[in-house]
Amino acid sequence: MDKSEQTQQQHQHGMGVATGASQMAYSSHYPTAPMVASGTPAVAVPSPTQAPAAFSSSAHQLAYQQAQHFHHQQQQHQQQQLQMFWSNQMQEIEQTIDFKNHSLPLARIKKIMKADEDVRMISAEAPVIFAKACEMFILELTLRSWIHTEENKRRTLQKNDIAAAISRNDVFDFLVDIIPRDELKEEGLGITKATIPLVNSPADMPYYYVPPQHPVVGPPGMIMGKPVGAEQATLYSTQQPRPPMAFMPWPHTQPQQQQPPQHQQTDS
Amino acid sequence: MEDESHNNTLPNGFNTGSPESPFLKTSTTTTQHNKEQDRFLPIANVGRIMKKVIPPNGKISKDAKETVQECVSEFISFVTGEASDKCQREKRKTINGDDVIWAITTLGFEDYVEPLKTYLQKYKEIEGEKLSIPKQMRSEQRLQQHHNNYHDQNNQPFNGAYASSNLISQPPYVPTDQKFSLTFSPNSIQSQLRQQDQIDSVGHWYE
Repeated sequence: MDKSEQTQQQHQHGMGVATGASQMAYSSHYPTAPMVASGTPAVAVPSPTQAPAAFSSSAHQLAYQQAQHFHHQQQQHQQQQLQMFWSNQMQEIEQTIDFKNHSLPLARIKKIMKADEDVRMISAEAPVIFAKACEMFILELTLRSWIHTEENKRRTLQKNDIAAAISRNDVFDFLVDIIPRDELKEEGLGITKATIPLVNSPADMPYYYVPPQHPVVGPPGMIMGKPVGAEQATLYSTQQPRPPMAFMPWPHTQPQQQQPPQHQQTDS
Repeated sequence: MEDESHNNTLPNGFNTGSPESPFLKTSTTTTQHNKEQDRFLPIANVGRIMKKVIPPNGKISKDAKETVQECVSEFISFVTGEASDKCQREKRKTINGDDVIWAITTLGFEDYVEPLKTYLQKYKEIEGEKLSIPKQMRSEQRLQQHHNNYHDQNNQPFNGAYASSNLISQPPYVPTDQKFSLTFSPNSIQSQLRQQDQIDSVGHWYE
């Protein structure tokens, strides 16, 4: 993780385009993980067998239920975190007595407001309200971003986590221009994920397995530590996402997995 | 460990004494950089807030902080634009706290509304208490308001004046009038001198 961070900062320090390069690195990072999973002997052996079994209703049903349970559990945890967050906010505001010390400088907020030529006069209370609103905005965006960080088994919040949070919540649509297209394209999966809870028909089965893909991105040790059942679910997630992304049959999926560069594994 | 200390070094650099003074110094080197930084809230403040919802052993990359900096500025512009449109429709010139809250509601941030209404209500209560202070204090408030209006109309570099004012006073910034809080600091040295005179007068009366 430390090396990853150093490399990332070096890229940024190098040149202006480094940010794009850095994001490209992250984009290529995800496809690498499935290769790691398929590279494991225990996982590789069942792989050919799973191909025909994938169409079996019983195996399909089992994986579906497991993935659904996982997703449901995850969703509950996230909602609890957000509810706790808003509850804390109300308590914090109820206890507020001092309006002199703000977590954000009012003068700077006012300057940003005045950047709009249509804005003429601003009352003294407006920047004060904005200071609190911006604090809540930063907290909510960071919390939603951190959820994505945890889904990827990381301990460092990164730019693509913020991109994921933005793409998953309509209220943040006005921020789309701030996120590079690569990040947004990568998080297109997130949008698909948001759709899953609403539709449960078998026709959408392939898309359902996008969420479990994230655990696969974690280090190999994490995969090995999972129970056999979860491992099978992981296998499905490894293979199923390929068709919707590449719109290609499975036989073509395997060559793609081999293409991603190896050095990205260092990050895991 | 090294990465962590490295990340901490940058925010500390921005926080030398006062969050504003580094930018003032930087302006002598790169005016463009200073102007660019003025478009965002200080990265140290943003980073500090972000850490509140991150587990103790969690870390935040610098590019994540910079991205949130941009997002917050976009949020302010987004909400301000909506509030400004409302004021224009209603033939009003001044954007107030209620306009900001209305805009936030309209733009879909429903969860923010109740906390902000409570916050604004408490702010007004405290401001109201100040208004009940004797006439001398009230006239001081009017003078302060006058300077705010003057600043608004002339669009002067308020931030620079703020930093300058801060440099004149003690290194660790403390409001000149601790007993009676002022929303903004005076934007000129002369007004500050008058301010001090008034403070002395008020202080004397208070004792």
